[in-house]
Amino acid sequence: MKKVLLAVVALGAALTVSLPGAFARLEAPKARQADPGVTSRSITIGGTFPFSGPVSSYAPIARGMETYFRFVNARRGPDGKRGVYGRQIIFKTYDDGYNPARTVQLTQQLVLQDKVFAIYGSLGTEPNLAIRPYLNQRKIPQLQIATGASYWGAQHKAFPWTMGWQTDYIAEGRVYGKWILQNRPRARIAIFYQNDDYGKDYLRGVKQGLGSRASSMIASELSYEVTDTSYASQIARQRASGADTWILLTTAGTPTVRALGTGRAVGYRPEQIVINSVAATDQVMAAAARTTGQEYVNGVVSTGYLKNNTNPKYKNDPAIRSFRRIMGKYGPEGGVDIRNTFYYYGVANASEFVRLLYKAGKNPTRASLMAAARNRNWVNPYTLTGMRTLTRKGDAFPLDQGKILRYNNGSFTEISPLYKGR
Amino acid sequence: MPRISPFTLLKFACVLAVAVFVAVLPQIFDSRLDPGSAEFRVGQFTLVGIWFVALLGLNVLTGFNGQISLGHGAFVGLGAYVTALLSLGRPGLELYMLDPPSWLPIGDGMRPVFTIPIAALVTGIIGFLFGFPALRLGGVSLALATLAVAVSFPILMKRFDEVTGGGGGVNLNLPTTPFGWDISTRHWLYYEAWITAGIVLVLAWLLVRGRVGRAFRAIRDGEIAAVSSGVNSALYKTLAFGVSSAFAGAAGALLAIEVAYVNPDTFPVGLSILLLASAVIGGLGSLAGAAFGALLYVFLPIYSQNPPIVSWDFSNQAPAVVFGAVLIAIMLLLPGGVAGGFRRLTGLVRLGLARRRADRSELA
Amino acid sequence: MAAFLQQVVSGLAQGAIFASLALALVLIYRATDILNFAQGEMATFSTYVAWSLMNHGLSFWPAFALTLLIAFVGGAAVERVLIRPVEHRPEIVIVIVTIGLLIALNGLTGWIWGPEVKAFDSPFPLRTVEVGGVTISLQDVGVLAVCLVTVALLWAFFRFTTLGLVMRAVANSQEASRLLGVRVGMMLALGWGLAAVLGAVAGMMAAPALTLDPNLMLIVLIYAFAAAVLGGIDSPVGAVVGGLALGVMINLLGTYVDFIGGELRLPAALTVLLIVLLVRPQGLFGHRVVRRV
Repeated sequence: MKKVLLAVVALGAALTVSLPGAFARLEAPKARQADPGVTSRSITIGGTFPFSGPVSSYAPIARGMETYFRFVNARRGPDGKRGVYGRQIIFKTYDDGYNPARTVQLTQQLVLQDKVFAIYGSLGTEPNLAIRPYLNQRKIPQLQIATGASYWGAQHKAFPWTMGWQTDYIAEGRVYGKWILQNRPRARIAIFYQNDDYGKDYLRGVKQGLGSRASSMIASELSYEVTDTSYASQIARQRASGADTWILLTTAGTPTVRALGTGRAVGYRPEQIVINSVAATDQVMAAAARTTGQEYVNGVVSTGYLKNNTNPKYKNDPAIRSFRRIMGKYGPEGGVDIRNTFYYYGVANASEFVRLLYKAGKNPTRASLMAAARNRNWVNPYTLTGMRTLTRKGDAFPLDQGKILRYNNGSFTEISPLYKGR
Repeated sequence: MPRISPFTLLKFACVLAVAVFVAVLPQIFDSRLDPGSAEFRVGQFTLVGIWFVALLGLNVLTGFNGQISLGHGAFVGLGAYVTALLSLGRPGLELYMLDPPSWLPIGDGMRPVFTIPIAALVTGIIGFLFGFPALRLGGVSLALATLAVAVSFPILMKRFDEVTGGGGGVNLNLPTTPFGWDISTRHWLYYEAWITAGIVLVLAWLLVRGRVGRAFRAIRDGEIAAVSSGVNSALYKTLAFGVSSAFAGAAGALLAIEVAYVNPDTFPVGLSILLLASAVIGGLGSLAGAAFGALLYVFLPIYSQNPPIVSWDFSNQAPAVVFGAVLIAIMLLLPGGVAGGFRRLTGLVRLGLARRRADRSELA
Repeated sequence: MAAFLQQVVSGLAQGAIFASLALALVLIYRATDILNFAQGEMATFSTYVAWSLMNHGLSFWPAFALTLLIAFVGGAAVERVLIRPVEHRPEIVIVIVTIGLLIALNGLTGWIWGPEVKAFDSPFPLRTVEVGGVTISLQDVGVLAVCLVTVALLWAFFRFTTLGLVMRAVANSQEASRLLGVRVGMMLALGWGLAAVLGAVAGMMAAPALTLDPNLMLIVLIYAFAAAVLGGIDSPVGAVVGGLALGVMINLLGTYVDFIGGELRLPAALTVLLIVLLVRPQGLFGHRVVRRV
């Protein structure tokens, strides 16, 4: 009897927490502008991120974004006002666990209940594919989304309210291809890629970059699944192919560290290892170095479009210094591991968005925001020196360049000129 | 004419009241909330209806017939993909550069609402066929076998990407009200889901109250005894699988229409596990339990992220810990779930009333 | 030929991990007819404990030993607190309890240690030896050796110690053991503790190669199920043979059968599971259960 009562009380508590929310009466915001999400005092934006689930290691991206907005809200801008033209940025983030069905529901919540001005920074290719038609139908901006898929730029005409930001995977792959052609023209290449859109996009780019010599240079092209418990089978075969250049097109975290660790364990020592930029963060490389020994990972090459914030060479770079200051003062409690480049990415991305907000004008509308997004021609100080952020009619890829970086003892250094990915 | 107990009348009255409530809920939201929030709430309750259909299926199989299924999500996914393919049709799939084999009876695209019974039928048949080998498996073995199906489903959907669009999936056409009816799309989707739920509920109710239901329960409570009494356990067990999968397929179809996007990540193994967990918390062996489970499934994840009452700084992993802990607690304390709890409560009330009646008649 | 042997060798290493976890599953199943869905997460949690210990300065083997002790206590505690109350309830209840534990532990691991990948030091040197054109990694040899030693110790424990004999008796028949004065509850808790130890071994052997993140053992658990079923869900020998065989088989299938390739390795293992369940439910080494009315 007591147990039943206890259980009923516990259930009642759980339902009390859940159900009232279902019937909560909500206050409509005081909207003075035509577009939702903008008041005289605030701009509300929102995005979905995989805070839980298999790709939760990407969560620091959202934290970096949140930190930058906190900074903007606290500091006095060029017009002397805090926020953007005196409006505080309210950034709502929800956890979709990388399940596109939940992304759709949560995005509807952002649009309908939270009445956001724009969807900003949502992470993941499939989640963004799921919400793209809905947002475009309602003419809601879907901007600076955290995914390097080429869909957003390539299909911008069909979906004019959607735009990405970072150098996309195909463009990045081309940079690798071009660099190898120029610097290692006799290389025998082995490519190890994740068997999904992410890896395949990179692969396509690499082959395009190698051009007509792709088939003669690529000795081995093998994929892995996210559900694989061991890569030894594939990597042993890549080793047997005798390739001296090993390109890893893996996601950040476990797959990259595992691939390097397995390579080391089966005695595969290619002259040159190339790792894609998403995976080649300082934190991942440090974990890899612990597994394989520093010597194995020294010399790894990647590309970047962002400055490497742990490189001593950039110690006095204004963007890096401002990044450290912002993270230190406005970052999450308890500090963060700034070797984790995802925080830097979040800050860089958010700074771009704030710039777009300014460009959208003193009385921003969704249309003016998109117009700003479609006409960019400036330098984002967080990106590599020499890179230009450029969009215009016919070019919906804000960033499409990259430089080759080399890793050594804890940080990446630029070793090449700027390549055009597109 | 048998006397109908007041409690049965009360139960019917409750069901009727809930049905009326569900029917007018959109109007209630529209009148009390601003248009955006109303639309959002109606959407949430559309999802409740969809998962109610899925959980009714799982309840029939696991609750009433005792066959543990850790693969229900795969059937939901199957129904969703059927709807996606049928509603896009070959012309629509061509835009994705998909070229399904010609023996697949995909037409030129049909109205999504008509795909619902087709998805239910296809999934039901496949579930029924799956029920045959399942006859040889019991308890834990069946749990493992269905788990294997749930794990394999997204992988297979990704592998056969000429048909399914692979990892990137396919976007269905954004939903619209069909036949030119004068009702908002949001309301149309809501009623589409709840009318389907009503039909499924009636079917489930007829099934479990009749001879079939008694056979199901007999098999659940003691298969050997049931077979000895002449129950054709093979027939009923495969039937249970077929029916439960058909309901799951219908739910999947509704989900695909509502979300307008399918891909393998939408139906991971976690979905099957969460569905079973929700069914159990709601209350197995009870049709009302499916409704509680659906409410929990839709609302708990959202509210444990940003709980309206408790406002500590939850870590992002906390919802999982809370959910797991609640699951365990319910199993330890109240294995009948919410519906079981209610039943016990009403049972206690009836007992109390009966005692009082007996006392009074003694005194008389 | 060398390539073929290479696949076999790396398959054995992979399979050793499956075998260790499968052994843990079998241990519990034999004693209690319960399939512990949370076995993998318990192993992951133990591995993170080991990582924390090493982070605080302990070297590998002391951390290893201490973790085994902690895992043992943890496993026994789980049995006592969570499983004992629902032991005699319907199967579905127990399944849900272990699933709830899986979900909660997975979240807890991520909560305490965060989702970023962590390097886990390997106790074995990162060298390789060449034998007849086949490159054998010493790490793999070490993992295989540790697993075999663990299995041998376990076998000796059950065969030659009184405690082991008593536990075998309990696994055979709880009723009879109780009548003979055995403290059945204590034995069951011990069984779960031992299984947790096995899981911890699996985790600590897997982590260097697989790298440590909260989802380390999720997929390994699925393979372990397949291995346990293949070998015989109540046979420890079967678990080991099944695990090793499965590891080799998916490597070979993945490399030489184009249709399966890399993509369908997991479904291939699961197909094996399904076929065994349907055609020969007792697996290779298990015992047929005949229900007499």
